[in-house]
Amino acid sequence: MKPARMFAFARKEVLEIIRDPITVWIALFMPLMMLFLFGVALSFDVKDAPLVIVDHDKSAASRALSAQFLNTGYFRLADAPEDERVAEHALMQGKARAVLVIPPNFGRRLTQGETAPVQFLVDGTYASTAAIVSAYGRAIMHAFPKGTLDLPIQPQVRVWYNPQLRSRDFIVPGLFAVILMAFPPLLTALAVTREKELGTIAQIYASPLTKAEFVIAKLLPYAAIAFLQLLIVLAGGFLLFQVPMHGSLALLIALGLIYVLTTVSIGLLVSTLVRTQVAAMLVTLILTLMPSFLFSGFIYPIFTMPTFFQGYSARIPTMYFVNISRGIVMRGAGLPELWTNVAVLVVYTAVVLILATLLLKKRIA
Amino acid sequence: MKNRPGRTGFRFQSRRVPLPLVIEAEGLGRRFGARTVLEGVSIGVRQGEVFGVVGPDGAGKTTLLQILAGILRPSFGACRVLGEDVRRRADRVQAKVGYMSQGFSLYDQLTVAENISFAAGIRDVPKAAFAARKTQLLNMAGLERFEARREGALSGGMRKKLALCANLIHEPPLLILDEPSLGVDPLSRRELWRMLEGAKAAGRSIIFATSYMDEADGSDRVLLLRDGRPLAIGSPAELRTSARQRVYRVTTADPTALENQLTDSAAVLSFQKRTLGEYRVQLSEAAQPHFPAAKTAEIAEPTMEDVFTVASAPLGRSSSPSAASQNRAPSSEILVAAQAITQRFGDFVAVDDVSLEIKAGEVLGLLGPNGAGKTTLIRILCGLLSPTEGRAQVAGFDVARQSDQVRATIGYVSQKFSLFTDLTSQENLSFFTRAYGVAPAEVTSRIAWACERAGFHLGEEGLVRNLSSALRQRLALACAIVHRPRVLFLDEPTSGVDPLSRFRFWRLISTLAAEGVAVIVSTHYLEEATYCDRLGLMMDGRMIALGSLAMLEAELGLKGARVEDVFMGFIDRERKKLTRAA
Repeated sequence: MKPARMFAFARKEVLEIIRDPITVWIALFMPLMMLFLFGVALSFDVKDAPLVIVDHDKSAASRALSAQFLNTGYFRLADAPEDERVAEHALMQGKARAVLVIPPNFGRRLTQGETAPVQFLVDGTYASTAAIVSAYGRAIMHAFPKGTLDLPIQPQVRVWYNPQLRSRDFIVPGLFAVILMAFPPLLTALAVTREKELGTIAQIYASPLTKAEFVIAKLLPYAAIAFLQLLIVLAGGFLLFQVPMHGSLALLIALGLIYVLTTVSIGLLVSTLVRTQVAAMLVTLILTLMPSFLFSGFIYPIFTMPTFFQGYSARIPTMYFVNISRGIVMRGAGLPELWTNVAVLVVYTAVVLILATLLLKKRIA
Repeated sequence: MKNRPGRTGFRFQSRRVPLPLVIEAEGLGRRFGARTVLEGVSIGVRQGEVFGVVGPDGAGKTTLLQILAGILRPSFGACRVLGEDVRRRADRVQAKVGYMSQGFSLYDQLTVAENISFAAGIRDVPKAAFAARKTQLLNMAGLERFEARREGALSGGMRKKLALCANLIHEPPLLILDEPSLGVDPLSRRELWRMLEGAKAAGRSIIFATSYMDEADGSDRVLLLRDGRPLAIGSPAELRTSARQRVYRVTTADPTALENQLTDSAAVLSFQKRTLGEYRVQLSEAAQPHFPAAKTAEIAEPTMEDVFTVASAPLGRSSSPSAASQNRAPSSEILVAAQAITQRFGDFVAVDDVSLEIKAGEVLGLLGPNGAGKTTLIRILCGLLSPTEGRAQVAGFDVARQSDQVRATIGYVSQKFSLFTDLTSQENLSFFTRAYGVAPAEVTSRIAWACERAGFHLGEEGLVRNLSSALRQRLALACAIVHRPRVLFLDEPTSGVDPLSRFRFWRLISTLAAEGVAVIVSTHYLEEATYCDRLGLMMDGRMIALGSLAMLEAELGLKGARVEDVFMGFIDRERKKLTRAA
């Protein structure tokens, strides 16, 4: 291995990157754009869910319960009909997420110390939202100030790490992992296949540059870009979205550096297998972005998946950085808690790089 | 092979001890899937030799050079380059040679200096030697003033010279150059060759590919390739000797009669009209020909183009078209009429005030350099583009307002192959036949007719991408005429096709014209102008001359001039007009 050859090659790569506005655009703007879109748009928080209240009682107590629901900010009143059938219709049309039916004599039964059943209907078509809505409903009713609702056990539930259950605080650290898996491999794979398409690769084939030198000299500039992207998305996450940081930023950046080497290596591996930019783009997206969304734990928790897919997720490096990122940002975790994830990423990167070097053919065909 | 003295390689040297071989190839070949693109190449190139690989597109030149550069594994045969086996020690071959691929192989976003230092960096050029070599090379290439310019902003010729500099910076003992002068203007071509002369003088061996037959003359030895098979190998002088007595200069007072006799004669491989009454004829064997219509017939010194035609005769499939009557006289029916057509793309005027008329049975040739507006004019007349100004009718339909009717009455063969390469010939033909709305009952007979007219044999099955370029050309013609168009547009139909196939293609076109089809052909092979009834010379979007070759000659006051002279004459006249106006 000759450093001079690698340096010449890497320098050429950097010059090309800097002078290609499209690359700069994809490299700097797209990650921010994705962070912004997902950070703003993707939210599991339930706010102002439309609620239909059918109050047959019309007592002070029933009004108090209704007010309790609407004052939380989680629900807003969509309608208050006399008839349950109207409420049911609203639910069917999707105009209401939930219906609260307060039977006659609700207030009287409460004052007499009897159990006072109320009906809480939840639209279950969005399973996760339904679970949250019904939990909110139950919590509000538990908190309804009436001594007769005493429970035999009084659980002291405390939510750690994200007490307000703000979904943004949980999505943004996951996004760091997904964004760094989305763009760096794509840029890298496109860069190599573009040389194949333009034919400029022929003069690299016909040169003393070895395969390992080729791989490393391509890896480093794109890893540098990816590292820049890491800094950009971190800045966006902490400054723009005000995601609270509970751990060490330095540790996150250091481990992010390992992760970007992983993702860029994947791009290099893809580029050794395909010839055209179109193929590179498709294969990269299928190999990186798609599983990152579904199987990294970014949105859908892995522990609820069937065993087979849990095993599949374990093959996707995104999962390990999702763990690292959330661990540091949300739980304030350090290396002792995260080292297995780090070890997997390091081994993963080494394997992918060796594979890319072995599969690279310094030949046209 | 090693002990045999290089009989032919030393026209300029007289040494007793043969120089070592830099390339030793024995039965070299390459297969891609089921398709063999190169077969049976055995060559020995000695140190200091300039060796040309000559052949039309698709002959296997690039494949051969890639194998020699160690970047393509051969399927058959053995080969050593600079003493290293290209199979087992490809890495060493790659490191030692200088390989310049076809097209532009440098980075267009990098400057001249950056490209050179990149090339030097990955090729282990010592820092101490770099600066001096770079200065020397850039001076030789005339690029020293452009060091800071991006490669993409250079002209084609400069880009090629720079690519050559990048391949000389590590002072390789062997240069492998794939069509170095393709798409390069004549002046840069000369400079490129001067640089190569310098490299040769420094003791480097050069192997290069070209489809320009005249470039072969500059080399010590030449390998003629066609369809992946070697036709002949030897020095240009030797090759010429082998073709001697098979090339004749024939003059006549009655061109039509002579053309008919030449067409009908089995002994004639090919012929070209040089001037109005003068023809160049290649024969299948060395024998005094007899053409009653000829005034004189004398043996001519063969050019490399002649050599190629003669050498490829045994390979040429005897698919010459049924000699339909070539006695064609354009009728009076005007099929194409254009009045003052102008086409602008933004500020750029692609076609500038062009008017022309073409009658049924007439062949009009459009000549002009790249960017003269030939393709744009053809696209307008095909109804594919609406002209910015002016009007044109094709078969009575307005090209702008009735483009659907226009397209139904014309056939169009575009510059790039318009065939579906992943379908078979039959599937392509069926598609085009049905797409043009031919009645289902007629499809089979129409296809048979079109293939016969296009000289295409449908037995040749398999995917179109596996066909040779000459065969594809005929298939494209067949697909363009299945609906019996009244007007046929051919946009550079013969580019990249070997001389003999080009000649046959023109005979097919003549036959179609004799049946009353109006034909408009653009070409950059000037000698093909002699096959046309009338010529339109285009430059910078303007039609600077329009008429028969005889008329154009008379207009310039020339007699017995070659097409090149006529063409250059009009360009000169136009330039003078412009300078006077300015």
